[in-house]
Parts: sequence; C-alpha cells; structure tokens
Amino acid sequence: MRDSIERLFDSLRPNFEKDGKLEYFYPAFEGMETALLTVGHRTQADAHVRDPLDMKRMMIFVLYALIPCILMGWYNAGNQAYLSEGVQAAPLDALIRGGWAMLPTILMSYTAGGIAELIFCFVRKHEINEGFLVTAMLFPLTLPPTIPLWMTGAGIIFGVVIGKEVFGGVGMNILNPALTARAFVFFTYPAYISGAKVWDAGGSDIFATPDALVDGYTGATPLLAAASAPAGSDPVAAITAAGWSFKDLVLGLHPGSMGETSTVVIAIGAAFLIFVGIASWRTMVGGVVGLLATTFLFNMIAGPESNPMMLLPPHYHLVMGSFAFGIVFMATDPVSSSATPVGKIIYGFFIGVLCALIRVVNPAYPEGMMLAILFMNVFAPLIDYVIVKRSTARRAKRLAAV
Amino acid sequence: MAEHVVKRGLDIPIKGRASGEIISLESPASIAYAPTEFRGITPRLAVRKGDEIKQGQSLFFSKSNPDLVFRSPIAGNVTEVRRGARRVITDLVVEATDSQEVETLTSHSLDGLKSVSRADAVAAMLASGHWCAIRTRPLDNIADAEVMPQSILIGGMETGPAQPLATELMSADDADALQAAVYALKACTDGKVFLTERSAGGHPALSKIDGVERHTFSGPHPAGDPGVQVNLIDPPRGVNVVWTIRAWDAVALGRTLLSGAFDGTRVYAAVGAGVKAPRLVKTVIGAPLTSLVGDTVEGNLRWIVGSVLTGTTSEPGRWAGYYARTVHVLVDEYKRELMSWALPSLGQWSFYRSFVSGFSKATREYDLRTGLHGGRRAIVPIGAYPKVVPTPDIMPQFLFKSILANDLEESIQLGMLDITFEEAALCTFICPSKTEFGVILRDGLNFYEKEA
Repeated sequence: MRDSIERLFDSLRPNFEKDGKLEYFYPAFEGMETALLTVGHRTQADAHVRDPLDMKRMMIFVLYALIPCILMGWYNAGNQAYLSEGVQAAPLDALIRGGWAMLPTILMSYTAGGIAELIFCFVRKHEINEGFLVTAMLFPLTLPPTIPLWMTGAGIIFGVVIGKEVFGGVGMNILNPALTARAFVFFTYPAYISGAKVWDAGGSDIFATPDALVDGYTGATPLLAAASAPAGSDPVAAITAAGWSFKDLVLGLHPGSMGETSTVVIAIGAAFLIFVGIASWRTMVGGVVGLLATTFLFNMIAGPESNPMMLLPPHYHLVMGSFAFGIVFMATDPVSSSATPVGKIIYGFFIGVLCALIRVVNPAYPEGMMLAILFMNVFAPLIDYVIVKRSTARRAKRLAAV
Repeated sequence: MAEHVVKRGLDIPIKGRASGEIISLESPASIAYAPTEFRGITPRLAVRKGDEIKQGQSLFFSKSNPDLVFRSPIAGNVTEVRRGARRVITDLVVEATDSQEVETLTSHSLDGLKSVSRADAVAAMLASGHWCAIRTRPLDNIADAEVMPQSILIGGMETGPAQPLATELMSADDADALQAAVYALKACTDGKVFLTERSAGGHPALSKIDGVERHTFSGPHPAGDPGVQVNLIDPPRGVNVVWTIRAWDAVALGRTLLSGAFDGTRVYAAVGAGVKAPRLVKTVIGAPLTSLVGDTVEGNLRWIVGSVLTGTTSEPGRWAGYYARTVHVLVDEYKRELMSWALPSLGQWSFYRSFVSGFSKATREYDLRTGLHGGRRAIVPIGAYPKVVPTPDIMPQFLFKSILANDLEESIQLGMLDITFEEAALCTFICPSKTEFGVILRDGLNFYEKEA
C-alpha cells in the first residue's frame, strides 16, 4: 500500500516539477503527496538529524483539540433547532438536524478557503500552509448555525486572503485569519450573526418566519438575555428567567455560535493543547485573570441604577459568550499572539480586560471577545517590542565593560 | 568552586555511541590537515608538494602571524595539496614513510612554566603547533596572541550527541601535561583561568590541577560546551574576549611543551548507526576516516566530522580534523511514512509532547536518520527555542529574525555574539518549520566580521 502510493507519486512528479506540463500546479501536487506520505527531503545543512515534529502534525493536533467542540456544537445546533419548536428531541435526532446545519458550513469553509489558499500557492509558488486547516475549522465554529453558506464562503476567502496571504502566509500574518474572517462577516452582514434570531437552525429563512418560535423560547444567547435586562435589575435573574442555571451555561446547551457554547468541552480542548505543549497556558491564564479582575471591579463600582452587565458576577462572564473559545483557540494562535513568555501573560490579560469592557460598557455589542482579540493581535508586536528592549537592556547591563 | 545546574538544553539519544577499550592505530598511511576548519586564519604553506618532512615539522602558518604554526603529526612526504573553490586549500596531505625523524622543539619544565612570562609562554605555545586549540568567545576564532583575554576557560567535559566523554579522552597520567598547559595559559591573562568539569564524578587528571578556579556543570547538552560555560561563568564584557580550550587539547599542548616534541597523538571516536562496531581509536591528528571507522553497514551513508548537530559533511576518502573528536557515520536514508501526522508514532523520538516520547527522558537510543521530517515553513513560534538555549537573556526567535534582516546593531544587542553554534543547532533540531539557524548564525557572524 505504502509502496504503491509512493510509486504513484514518483511517477506523477515529473509532470509537476520544473519544466513539467503541470508545473504551475505543483503546490496542489505537493500538498496531496505530503498529506499521504511524509516529506521525503533529507537534511542538507547542520543539524544533520531533526525532530520529527512538523507543521502538519502541529496543526492536526489543534484540530484534535477541537473535536469535542465540534461534536458538542453539532449536537447543540440540532438541539436548539428542536427547542425553538418546543420539541425535546432525542440525541440522535438532534445530531441529524445539527449535522444539516453545521457540516455544510464546515465543508463550505474548507472548500472556498481551500480554493483561495491554492490560488495563492500557485501564484506565489509556495507550499500549502497547514495553518489553513485550523483556520477553516475555527471560522465555522464562531458562526451561528443559520449563517447562509455563501456568507461562510465569502468570510473565509476574506480571512485567508486579507488575514493571511497578503502578508505572505502563515507565520507572517498580524491578525488571526479565522477572526479576520468572522469580523468581516460580523460587520458586513450584522443581521445574520447577531441578535436573537440567528442561533437556532430551525427555519430556512430566519427573517421570514419570526413567529415560528414557540412561547418561552426567545432564541437569545445568555449574554443577550443578561444585557437586555432592565437597568438596575439582577442579570442572573434574567438568565434564570430565560431558563438557564450556571450549570447549564457551563455545559453549553444554549443558543450561541456553533463551537462556543460549552465551557466543558472547550476546557477539554484547552487541557489537551497545554498537555501537548502547542498552546500557551500563559495566554489562557492571563485572559481568565484579566476578565475576572475587570468584571469584579465592575461589580464593586456598580450602583443601583447601573447597566445590568455591571452586576453580572465574574464567573458568569467566564462561561458565557465566546470568551472561553476565544481565549483557548483564537488568542493562543502563536503567530498573531505575543511571542515572549511574559508578553503572552500581558497579551492574554488585556484580552480579558477588553472583552469585559466591551461586554459591560459598550452599548452596541453584547459580546466583545472577537474585537478584544483582534485589537490585542495588533498590539502584540508592541508588547514584544517592550519585552525585547527590557531583555536587551538587562543583557547590556550584565555585559557592560567594568 | 561553583556548581552550575543547566536546565535548558536537550540530550539527543542517538544510536551508536562508542565505548570500551581504546584501539591503537599509531601510524596511519596518511594524514591531512583541512586549513578551512581554522576560523580566522589565512594559511600560508611552509612546505611544497613533494617535500620530505620530519614529524613535528611546520606544514603551514598563519598569514597574519607567521609564528602561529601547524605541525605534522607524522614524518613523510607532502603528496597532495587539494584546493577547492577560489583556490582555498581544502586538504594538505602527508603520506607516511619509514623515516623516524623528529623535529626538536624547546622543552620546558613544569617549574619553569610556573613562573613563565607572558611573552615566553605565548612564544612557546605558538611554536607548539597547538595554539589553534585556543579559541575566542565571541566568534570562535583562533586566539590572537596580541590580545589580553579577560579570562581563559578550560573545558573538561563534553555533552554532545554520541561524543566521547572526558574520561575516554584523557587519563590520570595526563595531569602533568595539563598542569603545564594551565601554567602557560595562566601567564597569558590577568584574569582567571577556569577549569570546568562534570558535577557527577571528577576526572582524575583534573582533580589536582593548581592555579585554576573550578566550576562544575550538570544538565543536558550544551552544558558541556565551552562557549555556553563562558556565558554562564564570565561572559566577555565590552570589547573583551575570553579564550577557551578543551582540556584534552590542553593536554596535547602541555605534552608538547614538556617533551619538546610535537604531540600529534589523538583519540577519535567512530560513532553512529552506520558504523558496524562503534569504537575509540588512538591515532594521530588528521587520520584517514576509513581507518578510524572500520566496517560500515550497507546503504547510503553520510560521513560527518564532528557531531550530528554541528559537524561538517565529509566523505570516506578524506581525513579527520583537528577539533572534532568524532566521525559520525549516519545512515543517509529516509523512508517516507504513510500519514504519519495522524499516527501516535510510538517508535519516534521527539523533544515535543505531541509524540509519546516527548514526555520523559529517553530510556534507549534511537536510530535517527537524515530525514527533514517536514516541509520548510515560516516560523510559527510555540515557545520551544528558549528551552534549548541556556545562555541567559537570549530570545532566539527575535535574534535570528534580526540577523536575517541584516540588522547588525540589533542582532548584537540581542546576543548574536553570545549564542553558540551548539545552541543554534539545537534550535534547528527542534524547529517544526525546519529553519536552519546554524546557517543563519554563520552568515550573520561572517557579515559582522566583514563590516567590523
């Protein structure tokens, strides 16, 4: 099997190499070949031996970490669709219905993004960046299940091209490509990605059949429920009234973007990523501390007539909205995050702070995680700059002539 | 005495370490020097093709300092001067004859060396043929005799992959020779002379040496690298340099000083999975590689003079070098694996925890081969490089990027002159993007020397 595959690729290769008929399409050939067989190159310079970890394995491990989120989002998409019709569906039914909402979105993301990626590989003559595999999976998980397919396609193309390829590909980008894609959809088609009606996979046209929602099912996310409570009222009561206890929020069987709702499965993914050493615990810890500290501060200064989000206890912030998903899978992107260990803590911390600020103070958006991460992506090089300067100053002092 | 526990670094458990009895191979048919390995020297030949030479006769010297000579370990005929690109001498070959003639040098007594002046010590060491063993931090160039070093470090340990240990390269009998070298070196500096050794178990030749400050090191490679040790003990300040020499090279220097005859004997280790029976061989400097290695396994092989981390590729028809103490024969083959990115790959050894072996210290040796294990990519930093760089305050990713940007000032600020090739090679080894940091560092240092 292995040998026949190797022979097949060996016989095809001359067509794709220099002066071959299909030379232009070499990146596609190379991508397919190295997906099946490990790269055959041998070392040319020292060190003569190398560690077996490569970008493919690294990125695949991020996808492994996403599996619990994908499964949970899959189930919950169907579950919410049934709930919006007042039906308590069996798990299998929920999975089938959720699959119809989620899988085409993921497929679209990979197809449209893949084509954009390939075109750039052909034109720029570079090999396929494996980071795309992660980007194209993260993006659909940040979308509501009702998102029109063409928007998914447009979003991922924008993310791949503007978020990544114009800078030179994975490793050179400033912003997280998946979040760039989401921000594009968020600002271009706001009605399809925010509000109360987009989170269930029930109706085919969410705006044509608003009355299809049964009584007691508002479709609002917990964040929206809390944010729209009357001034001075208890936001926890509003969440409870909408039907969720704190435990429900942790488990994640509530409306929301497909991958973000369940803190439990995100925590499993986070544990895995930290365990294998691919994502930074510093970013995650910094983010959690930043969010808790800021929301705690808001709790302290909240008056009787203040915005209900001011009163929302810090631990609720942790499990609502996309904070958990963002800090674990988006903020830890090694390329767009800060690259120094101390920088990662600061970077994570301010993501938490900004997320809390947008959620609580900003009247326009109930959720602030996407903007917080993108904002800190832009500031990450500045954080690194300061840290590097401090380190070089320390070196200079240590090595100064006596 | 100070103890250093090095935490950052990596021991690569590569198969084929040599151990056991040292095989004697006193007189090889030919020897050769490769003048290109002496950084910072432009060689001028002292002999011509066809000349008959004595053991210990000068073969070539430094253009900038004619007193800095390189001597032949055997008596014989100069049979070949091989040249490479731009007529650089790549191999200067001497073939052995039956002649037993030995060039006589000045001999010194231990007591005399104890109170030697700097000028006399320098002259004696330059004439010994072993001056080239003294190298500078930064840059790893051969020491300039005119420059007063801030301090001198004698490295008495080795931690590199499949490298022979100090106990295999020196014996208790070498204490006097080492002491002679220490006295001569001590006369060259106003600063201290450091002697480093492994924390666990001192070496009998090192334990009684007088006139040095002792430092012990433990931890993974590159804890035994003299450059790293300099950075941890007494990093060069301002424009100062620190001289380093390996203890076993100092032994050869000391023997020459004491006996008045050039000591060209040398222990090499033939190691690696390509060698049928890895072994330690006592022979002379620059012995032919094939005579050291003996039988090899079938297949495509890569002959490396030095370690798999920083060694240079050679070939069976060539000779061992002055600095390297190993010939590593690697199996230069790589069998492509089916979908390995998705497999647990239990048999693979890795620094990373995305392989099972990344969780614990290696318990066995692995037949690592020359596979690149991936395509070249832009750097995606997951914070691994600093874990193998023990030199303080170095941020490898930023350093290498500034070197690539040809930003000399910033690269020097970030530690281009401090980081060692061993550290750069370890970064290369673990890099998931398959970036070659050793090449980047070499280019950066060459650029620096050209500009400076």
